[in-house]
Amino acid sequence: MIAIEGLSKRYGAVRAVNGVSFRADDGKVTGLLGPNGAGKTTTLRMLSTLVRPDAGRALVDGIDVTRQPHQALARLGVLPDGRGLYPRLTAREHLEYFGALHGLAPAALRARIDHLVQLLDMAGIVDRRVAGFSQGERTKVAIARALVHDPRNVVLDEATNGLDVMSTRAMRTVIRELAAQGSCILFSSHVMQEVSELCDRIVVFAAGRVVADGTPDALRTATGESNLEEAFMKIIGSGVGLA
Amino acid sequence: MIGRVLRKELIDHLRDRRSVVGSFVLPILGPLLLLGMFQLLSDLGSDRPLELPVVGSEFAPRLIDYLEASGVEVQPAPLYPEDSVRRGEAAAVLVIDPTYAERFAAGRSAPVRLIVDESRNDAHRSVRRVERLLVGYAQSLGALRLMARGISPEVASPLELEEIDLSTPEKLAANLLNVVPLFLMLAALVGGMNVAIDTTAGERERGSLEALLLNPVPRRTLVLGKWLATSIASLAVATVTLLGFMLTVRFLPLEELGMKMLLGPFEALVLWTAIAPLALFGSGVQMLIATFARSFKEAQTYLNLLNLLPMAPSMFLMFEPARSAAWMLPLPALAQVGTVVDVMRGESVPAWHLGVIFGTSLAYTALCLGALERLLRKENIIFGRP
Repeated sequence: MIAIEGLSKRYGAVRAVNGVSFRADDGKVTGLLGPNGAGKTTTLRMLSTLVRPDAGRALVDGIDVTRQPHQALARLGVLPDGRGLYPRLTAREHLEYFGALHGLAPAALRARIDHLVQLLDMAGIVDRRVAGFSQGERTKVAIARALVHDPRNVVLDEATNGLDVMSTRAMRTVIRELAAQGSCILFSSHVMQEVSELCDRIVVFAAGRVVADGTPDALRTATGESNLEEAFMKIIGSGVGLA
Repeated sequence: MIGRVLRKELIDHLRDRRSVVGSFVLPILGPLLLLGMFQLLSDLGSDRPLELPVVGSEFAPRLIDYLEASGVEVQPAPLYPEDSVRRGEAAAVLVIDPTYAERFAAGRSAPVRLIVDESRNDAHRSVRRVERLLVGYAQSLGALRLMARGISPEVASPLELEEIDLSTPEKLAANLLNVVPLFLMLAALVGGMNVAIDTTAGERERGSLEALLLNPVPRRTLVLGKWLATSIASLAVATVTLLGFMLTVRFLPLEELGMKMLLGPFEALVLWTAIAPLALFGSGVQMLIATFARSFKEAQTYLNLLNLLPMAPSMFLMFEPARSAAWMLPLPALAQVGTVVDVMRGESVPAWHLGVIFGTSLAYTALCLGALERLLRKENIIFGRP
């Protein structure tokens, strides 16, 4: 379970994140929706310990990420904004490296990699070097890397960005499967279809604040719009930056 | 865990074929350059016979004998001596006046002319040699004449000028030895350059730094693993360079030049012990600087400049051939140059010198790595600056 409580971060005069609070429950897919620059990525970076908040706190399974970063990271699998891979290593070597850094024993790591290769349909590419991979293949490796230690909490920043239709569908299946197994999934996107299709609950960001938080039905009811797209437009005030 | 990071970085580096091959260019180039320069010197040093066309050699047979005895190959004069010199066919032409014998016998100054072209640089050496021979001949004859009249020759030479030429091949060769520490230091720095960049600026440019820092591993572990990988690459290249010099020294015409230069297994071990601390410290500094760079390219520019710095002490010692002193030991590069030159001159290097070099370098390295660890907490370093 992930809990964000009053997180704030300012850069100079810009309040990138301004008192954001929300929760993401186990077994659910929680979507962060908002235009580019609304503060989603900064919030996720504070959650994943790389950016120190000015105020507020982020909890992973009740662990404060600022106080106990390593304990929090051990329970967190993050697909970061930058997907960076090592071009000269194979997909399997990526998983072996990150698995070892998470402290997995060799036998457990091998079994976990076999499982991920099956889950993400990577059998054809797992022993090839990453250098020639397509965008979709790279994303698969990055997601497998985020999941290598079997985390209960999974954070996916723009997971379907740059993927073709087939890869996007496959990704949705994987996310739903993880949630069905009881994981807590936090999924950020600026693509409304993506979020409305996938998420049990939607947290809407605009200008560094949470402007709406609820199930898709609740958002429709609250705005009095039957169409989710119209509902978002009403909440955010404009559609700029959304897709 | 440090070992796991080290292993990944080494595998990654070894697969970067171009950068690995590139880092070994220097170790091959250094010894070859030394070999080439020595070859050039020994060519320069050997006294080739000086060819000198002489007009009117029949007027001064004794002078001709003297010149030939001094290694000059006296040749028949060309038809137009001035043209011959102007065109560079002869470095100089000696013209002996027909009145030479008559005036000489009378104890007066006998006229000889040396036709030269001062604007021809390539002839300078030969011209000076001829001049010195003629002046020498004149002085010894003059001295004889004075003595025949019961006067000490010193009366006629109030100054005794002795010229000491420092540009002898021996001296040049001794200075050339400074090439050895220079190349060893360059190897120790350049050898790890690509790993230093790849594991810092490169890691960020690829976007993999963010993912790497999401592992529950202390920053220090990552820094130490990356630093070890860089150091191993540096040491490998420095070691190969040292072996190259060991091999080359055997082929140098050192005895012909009257020089002593020692580089056996023991000397090589002492040199390695002096160079290794620079490789460790250099790896730390390079990683620290590369971390500040915005991109791989920018890091390369900075490090190429940084790696030129050790040239400075080498140059300094080349013109100021001082013995290595204790105050140099805590100064990286200067300590290495001093120690290497001492060892190659056959002087013993006290063990505590090597101890001080190691100790100070490790302290500097610790400072660099500590700073690097702190930098990896800063978000503008993790995500890059615009």
